[in-house]
Amino acid sequence: MIMKSKSLLRTVPLFFAVVTSSDIRAQQSSQSVKAVQIIGLPAVKENAKGTLIVENGNLRFVHGKGISDISTSSIQDIVTGTDSQKAVGKTVGTISMAAPYGGGRFLSLFRKKIDTLTVEYRDADGAFHGVIFRTPSGKADAIEKELIAQGAHTRLTSEQAETVKPSTGSSPKEQTQ
Amino acid sequence: MRNVRRFTKFLAFCAFLFAGVVLYAGNSQPTGFKVGGIQVATIQSDEITVPAEFRVALYENLVRQLEKQGFERVYRDGDRNSADVPNLVILHSTVRQFKPGSEKARQVTTVAGATSIRVRCQFTDRDGHARLEQDVTGKVRFFGGNLRATYDFAKKASLIASKKFLATDGK
Repeated sequence: MIMKSKSLLRTVPLFFAVVTSSDIRAQQSSQSVKAVQIIGLPAVKENAKGTLIVENGNLRFVHGKGISDISTSSIQDIVTGTDSQKAVGKTVGTISMAAPYGGGRFLSLFRKKIDTLTVEYRDADGAFHGVIFRTPSGKADAIEKELIAQGAHTRLTSEQAETVKPSTGSSPKEQTQ
Repeated sequence: MRNVRRFTKFLAFCAFLFAGVVLYAGNSQPTGFKVGGIQVATIQSDEITVPAEFRVALYENLVRQLEKQGFERVYRDGDRNSADVPNLVILHSTVRQFKPGSEKARQVTTVAGATSIRVRCQFTDRDGHARLEQDVTGKVRFFGGNLRATYDFAKKASLIASKKFLATDGK
């Protein structure tokens, strides 16, 4: 009986430790998003596929040959956009162009929606950099929000703040009218 | 009488062509001074709205293409290392015209949906004196995404820069 209670006493704190550590991890890092780096990251090839993660104040791009980090405090602007790309893959898409009766063109009509995430930042020397990522539809906004929460700047939010500033003191209803 | 008129017209046309060639050659002739490095200023688009991804793609492609053309020192906007570089050339780019186009329209129709972007490139020295000023157009007509127009522009602009500022080194 004493042995059982002792083991219980040991397992309960262990359980709580595991639960709290997983909570902290959840706060620090977001879920990873599959992305394609179109252009911009130093020493990363164009159109490199990888995973985007926002964790510990960094925008991390994990790709085949390594990891690239951008500190959120160095980010000056984040812009998200929507676009579309061919649903039928590259090789099949190219081969299909030779298909008779405009079969290739017909395939071009089938497209899937994608998001673009554009990040502008300055490195340690103050040099300007820009990176463009392509993510699945609906994922870029979540990353943008998380980046802003972890200290990244955007021109849009600062402009919005400026437009709100002069009318401080007035009720929100007045602002909208 | 008719032959004389024709001949004068032909002469005028030849003179016009010659003047054009001379002007073009003068524009692309190498400058006298040796360039220490080139700095790329951020892309401006005051008059028209250009999507952020286009601005960034223009900038990054420009930096990469200038490095490919043989500029040993390409500095980005705000780079502190460029402060002490002698004979630094600064490239200012302003978007003058932008037609977004459509990749889907290009693939389906072939003739429609071209993306084009016209950028005024101004190469100045540190004091702001213009060394070269020229409009460069980037286009994508048939294959590739819309952002390929930025690659086309960057390739043309870097070629102009290398002809003008690198030719003195015999490259």
